[in-house]
Amino acid sequence: MKPVLETRDLQMIYHVGKVDVPALRGVNISVGAGEYVAIMGPSGCGKSTLLHVIGGMLQPTTGRVEIDGEDLTTMTDAQRTDLRRRKIGFVFQRFNLFPTLSAEGNLKLAERIYSNSKNGGDAARRHEVLKLLKLENKMKHKPLELSGGEQQRVAIARAIVNRPAILLADEPTGNLDSENSTIVLEMLRGLNKEFGQTIVMITHNPEAAALADRIIEMRDGLVVS
Amino acid sequence: MDNLIVENIKQRPLRTAISVVGVALGVILIVLMVGLARGMVRDSAERQGNVDAEIRFLPTEISSAAAANPLMMPARFAEVIMNGVQPTAEDPDLQAKPPIAGVSATTPVGEFIQNSESGIGFEYVDGIDFPSFSKTTRITMVAGRPLTDGKAPDSAYEVIVDRYYFDNNKDVNRQPLQLGSKIKTLGHEFSVVGVYEPSMLARIKMPLHTMQQLLGGAENCTFIMIRTTQPALAKSVKEALESNYPGYHAYLTSEIPALFSQGIRPLEIFLDVVIWLAVVISTLVILLAMYTTIIERTREIGILKSLGASKTFVVMTIEKEAALISALGVLFGFVVSVVGKYALEASTRLKIDIEPRWVLIATVVGIGCGLLGALYPALRAANLDVVEAISYE
Repeated sequence: MKPVLETRDLQMIYHVGKVDVPALRGVNISVGAGEYVAIMGPSGCGKSTLLHVIGGMLQPTTGRVEIDGEDLTTMTDAQRTDLRRRKIGFVFQRFNLFPTLSAEGNLKLAERIYSNSKNGGDAARRHEVLKLLKLENKMKHKPLELSGGEQQRVAIARAIVNRPAILLADEPTGNLDSENSTIVLEMLRGLNKEFGQTIVMITHNPEAAALADRIIEMRDGLVVS
Repeated sequence: MDNLIVENIKQRPLRTAISVVGVALGVILIVLMVGLARGMVRDSAERQGNVDAEIRFLPTEISSAAAANPLMMPARFAEVIMNGVQPTAEDPDLQAKPPIAGVSATTPVGEFIQNSESGIGFEYVDGIDFPSFSKTTRITMVAGRPLTDGKAPDSAYEVIVDRYYFDNNKDVNRQPLQLGSKIKTLGHEFSVVGVYEPSMLARIKMPLHTMQQLLGGAENCTFIMIRTTQPALAKSVKEALESNYPGYHAYLTSEIPALFSQGIRPLEIFLDVVIWLAVVISTLVILLAMYTTIIERTREIGILKSLGASKTFVVMTIEKEAALISALGVLFGFVVSVVGKYALEASTRLKIDIEPRWVLIATVVGIGCGLLGALYPALRAANLDVVEAISYE
């Protein structure tokens, strides 16, 4: 299986005053196209740092990260931003929707960013995604008019509307009750199964991780299994 | 409208309103102040140009005392210029002066500047000798009667006014002017006894004698208007006047517009100051508003960047918001300026010219300053660290 994500000896050291705090100590992972991988580990083990590095939001201290064949670590900040725009979708624990925009408006904004403001997006794709996530009746609703589960589904819809090579989810059910967590996790599973969406998900929840194809365990900045 | 920029503006209506008013203030400053200055100068120049007399004769040096009493020139010069003068038995020391050839009429004019009765701006009042003034200029009475010499007690406090003044002003009882109405000028009430056309020099004219009595400048005037027998003689008359009357200068009426232009130079400096003030106000208002916006929306900027928005996209989003606020400010500023123009013109004798050129300048200043003011906050937003921004509480 062709890897969509590959890291080699990835290290990340934060400099806090005069103290160096290693967050990643040589992480090697590979995620194939269409795989659904969960990353688990205790707080402070480096999961979020790893996700931020994979997502091009942080530059690692050493090592390599390849997304769909492109090496993030040799790129400038602008190039990493561009790669994120083209190939990565993000889902956050806190949903991170624009509160002033409707569900559809949030998707349109992502499309505008994707197309560099050159077009108004693909309405058919937008509707397809919203329908897939059972949000077709919520298109005109603003985030505050939606439940937590619905907001997270809108966030997922926004993340995949531009067909990213990889979807990175940071504790996507961390702010949801169990019922909504189940719905969101089933939808992620469905996206992976039906559309072959590659997903890397950070979670503390063993039940959420159990739905993934593979679980990567981290501890103290290293992959332990 | 599902648009991030519009929704952002709607989300904080008070801040948007303050920003709009800030930009509008700059626009109003430019449009109204420039319009007022231009309007007053144009109006004055037009009224100076309506005088047919070819020459204005006045002292070379205008002393600071002239501000308090502008009647510093002997009014009898008007007679002397026409007929000349020789020493007499009563006054053997009198310096002989020949009559100036080519002069057909002369008239002494007293001109006083006072605060406008409305309290806004200032206005001129002329003191004239109507018989000689009517021979020297093309003044025509269109209603009522001409001024008398003002020497009889019952005719001292009479004025004639031009048509514009008559149609646009109120008397001391706040009633529309009619013949016989009382208006207040030089601290006294005067009866309006006539209306003249065309507008020339000051709109209000009283007997020169009355002005002399009120200002303590007995037998004096501010300048003398001189009409020549033929316009072609104006230059030679001017030279003869200046050689026979040292310390006095003769201006050709045709030179007056150029003299006004010279007088406008300090005004241009003042207008430049007004424009820069508008620039500073508009820029600062938008800078502060957008800076606050950026701090408030740090997290949203982080989300934009996490979605792959480039620095250019972030900068353009903020600049577009500033441009929209500025455009609203410019529009609001124009509305207030136009309303202000009509309100001021209706309640005062001020003239305000809203010229397309200055409307364009105000638009450029308003929107340009908005974009400039938003640039620093926009660049700061574009350079935010995405991980820190997205974690911002």
